Amino acid sequence: MKIQKEAMAGTLESSDLLVKVMPNTGIEIVINSDVNKQFGDQIRAVVNNTLNELNLTDGLIIIDDKGALDCAIKARVQCAVLRGAEETELDWSKLL
Amino acid sequence: MYDLVDYSVVDISKSEQDYQVIKQLLLQSDLDLDPQVTTFIVAKLNNNCIACAGLDHNIIKCVAIAPDYRGNQLNLTLIDYTMKYANDNGYFHLFLYTKPENIAFFKACGFYPIVEISDLVVLMENTPVGIKQYCKQLSQYQKAGNKIGSIVMNANPFTKGHQYLIEFAANQCDWVHVFVVNEDVSLFPFQVRLQLVKDGTKDIKNVTVHASSSYIISKATFPTYFLKDKSKIDYAYMGIDLLIFRNYIAPALNITHRFVGTEPHSKVTNAYNQAMKYWLEDDKVSLSSKITVIEVARKLEESNIISASLVRNSLALKNYEQVKKLVPSTTWNYISANLDKLNI
Amino acid sequence: MKKLRRSMLFLPGANAAMLSTSFVYKPDSIMFDLEDAVSIKEKDSARLLVAQTLKLPVYKEHGIETVVRINALNTPFGLKDLEAVVRAGVDVVRLPMTNSAEDIHELEAHVERIEKECGRKVGSTKLMAAIESAQAVVNAVSIAKSSPRLIGIALAAFDYLVDMQTERGDGTELFYARCAVLHAARVAGIDAFDVVYSNVNDDEGFLKEVSLIKKLGYNGKSLINPRQIELLHNAYAPTASEVENAKKVVEAAEEGERKGLGVVSLNGKMIDAPIIARAQKIIELAKYSGVRKEI
Repeated sequence: MKIQKEAMAGTLESSDLLVKVMPNTGIEIVINSDVNKQFGDQIRAVVNNTLNELNLTDGLIIIDDKGALDCAIKARVQCAVLRGAEETELDWSKLL
Repeated sequence: MYDLVDYSVVDISKSEQDYQVIKQLLLQSDLDLDPQVTTFIVAKLNNNCIACAGLDHNIIKCVAIAPDYRGNQLNLTLIDYTMKYANDNGYFHLFLYTKPENIAFFKACGFYPIVEISDLVVLMENTPVGIKQYCKQLSQYQKAGNKIGSIVMNANPFTKGHQYLIEFAANQCDWVHVFVVNEDVSLFPFQVRLQLVKDGTKDIKNVTVHASSSYIISKATFPTYFLKDKSKIDYAYMGIDLLIFRNYIAPALNITHRFVGTEPHSKVTNAYNQAMKYWLEDDKVSLSSKITVIEVARKLEESNIISASLVRNSLALKNYEQVKKLVPSTTWNYISANLDKLNI
Repeated sequence: MKKLRRSMLFLPGANAAMLSTSFVYKPDSIMFDLEDAVSIKEKDSARLLVAQTLKLPVYKEHGIETVVRINALNTPFGLKDLEAVVRAGVDVVRLPMTNSAEDIHELEAHVERIEKECGRKVGSTKLMAAIESAQAVVNAVSIAKSSPRLIGIALAAFDYLVDMQTERGDGTELFYARCAVLHAARVAGIDAFDVVYSNVNDDEGFLKEVSLIKKLGYNGKSLINPRQIELLHNAYAPTASEVENAKKVVEAAEEGERKGLGVVSLNGKMIDAPIIARAQKIIELAKYSGVRKEI
């Protein structure tokens, strides 16, 4: 799966995150977090995992985290990627 | 936990009341109402306007929060709504003007500073890689040499004057990079302007013609350039555009010189030339190497200074013989074939 | 003890903060809303967020039942919602605008297919029907009896009152619907939920309504503000004197059993099986929720 167009999901509200995706060659992830020092590696791990499960090969992923739980990170990354990759047929067995 | 604040979009050009409310709110934050901004995202509590953010295409400015409500969440939500509204209108890559004291807050909203004019204004964008990626792309066109020239032109349309300026620079330099302004607000559409510059310079061997971008004389970096009423220009803002050129664009292409025509007629362009010397050459304003500005006297055609505006005026008067004298044959070929499209 | 369903807290499905912190208010059930509380543009985002949130272990740990209000099946979103939440392990799917038993049968067929596809035990996804039209109120009995998966039916006032050409007032407007829905639930042996009380600042009005529906026999109420949970639970908690009295009933019954008496009486009143059962329920509820605090 590749990011075909710019898209975003989520919000900047507390306990949420905003995920922006755009076309790119290869995968690049930028994380900007209120809690970066403490949880940066954990956030990155969740994002990496989520992208792997989606089989994403190309895209720039920018994350502004506001202290979201892992489940919200996963959901917002999935949503932004699916929007940006213009995927409508979802394989729920891979998403959950 | 519940949203008691209502967010909505107002067009202040349509409501005198909204206009006054926004103006007052901005005043409390020591901000002027930018005449180019008419769309505002406003936060209301019990019908009182407590915060606003202006949106001009893909540029956020005039962000203000009433003093009593300066808490983080309201601001974040306001910016969130503004970004969503911009996205809904097709703008993903957003720019934002604010005072340098607000940089930390907007960083927390996902905006990254591009350049800052100390104590006055900072331009930010909503991606950490925007300008970096653009410069990476540009650097593919890097050419070897000690003297690398650059010219930024709107070329609306490309004249013998533009051609002369490029030839002049090309004679002096190892290579010249020409950027054609990439905003579609001119008589000649961008793709046409770009093509005419390419066609008119194809015999010059050491020139690359680039499509410009949001980062070079665009509505984002130099909003006032596109104003009809040029008398209302805040010259300080010119530094933004020129510092981006000096700090990012020039290093990507090893540019050492910038060439520009003298400006006896246009007040705004002349002021821009003066500002150019300050922002590109002065050691105090940037850590990046200085770029030498070379003003080149304008080419004449029978005692008239050749300019694109003279071409457009002549077109309007249907004085095609005059037009033909002012532009290269490549441009004339396009004009003569498209006279019906050039509704003047 | 049977699952208590006094409080069902509505949460907008697109709001990450509310979704992730709501369990701290300890409602009996949490209803994640994918329908009215989510704008068209955010349907996909809310669906994913709710699906991922359902997988958190906190709900099971706190004994909170998870409910998702999906979009109606005749919208472009309903079936997608269902695919997501059944797979994510939701306890109960709430169908909006249920007008007939056929609506539940249609939903049930989809649920069963998804359960088989994802390897979830067939029948483990429970259902709830929202009664929100005149037709639905009239069909309440057949709706309530339409599936063994149904755990309850809920009256929803907004659309119903539009349908009835009236508006929300002192409760008179809901008089028939409340009774009809409750009867249907009892006939089918399932739970009945009352409408949302939307003025979150009017505790007095809220408690008055709670008192009414409790007297009628409702299991509980849909809530939109977590603040209302404690008020509701307290109103449903037995009073100290009710608990004391219930203990006496149970003691007397046990005493009678020991002595082999056929008929037991307390303070000159006969105690029969329903009275004993009710007393045992009160004691159980008191153990769970404490006795009512006077406010």
